[in-house]
Amino acid sequence: MDEQTHVPPGLIHFAALDQMLDLARANSLWPLTFGLACCAIEMMATGAARFDMARFGCEVFRPSPRQSDLMIVCGTINKKMAPAVATLYDQMPEPKWVLAMGNCAISGGPFVFPGQYAVVEGVDKLFPVDVYVPGCPPRPEALIEGILELEKKLTGKRRWPVAPAQ
Amino acid sequence: MDKTALLDLIYVMAFFAGGVVLAVAPMIIAYLLAPGRTRHTQDKTLDVIECGMPAIGPAWIRYGVVYYLYALIFVAFAVDVLFLFPVAVIYNEKPGWCETFEVILFVGILTLVIVYAWMKGVFTWTSKLMSPRD
Repeated sequence: MDEQTHVPPGLIHFAALDQMLDLARANSLWPLTFGLACCAIEMMATGAARFDMARFGCEVFRPSPRQSDLMIVCGTINKKMAPAVATLYDQMPEPKWVLAMGNCAISGGPFVFPGQYAVVEGVDKLFPVDVYVPGCPPRPEALIEGILELEKKLTGKRRWPVAPAQ
Repeated sequence: MDKTALLDLIYVMAFFAGGVVLAVAPMIIAYLLAPGRTRHTQDKTLDVIECGMPAIGPAWIRYGVVYYLYALIFVAFAVDVLFLFPVAVIYNEKPGWCETFEVILFVGILTLVIVYAWMKGVFTWTSKLMSPRD
């Protein structure tokens, strides 16, 4: 797994520049356009007007993995689809982050039972995952919260207030 | 070499050097700042395709290029005239039968392009190349 998680930094790096880059990356995450199952509907809702992911600079869904740095795995990964998802992960350039959205992407969800043969039980079986957003499906607010968590992971601090429980 | 020409040459060289720096600097900066490697699971990061599924078959196949006719016409009508400007400037200073013949030869060869395109039916409105009904 170390082979999959360790990324050596560039030959030159400056602390201030790295901080600036991290801030820029955190506030302009470009997700990859793909949906595997019903969680994708919630992801689309998050991108649309009411929940408006654009408020966090995260609305530019790119059709090419070469241009995107965030992979939102939203849905069930069956074993037939797994090589395709892994290919897309391979084709994303560093730095890249993965957000597992929904119970299926986290652990296989309702499709886990003795003798099941079709579903990959969690996307972290394929490649490292940064943020897990549970739910079946998670509400758009939950996805936004996951993206804010990812921003916190990038910059080290949360830039947005925590919404009080209602 | 007199002083003006030397100065002009220095200008050209300076702009050339600036152009080379502007072209090469982004690559060097990217090399220095980029992460050491890209995490991958299937060794597909360095595939030559832009993205998506593996390509079926090689890229070295023969395929129809329809655009070449328009490129030819462009050469005949635009590039041709572009090359005639310096000829006209020189010819104004030094007219002669030999030069006239050379210009006619040049234009004549390029005119064959128009004839070729004509035979191919480019100037006909219902071109067989473009009509989906055929």
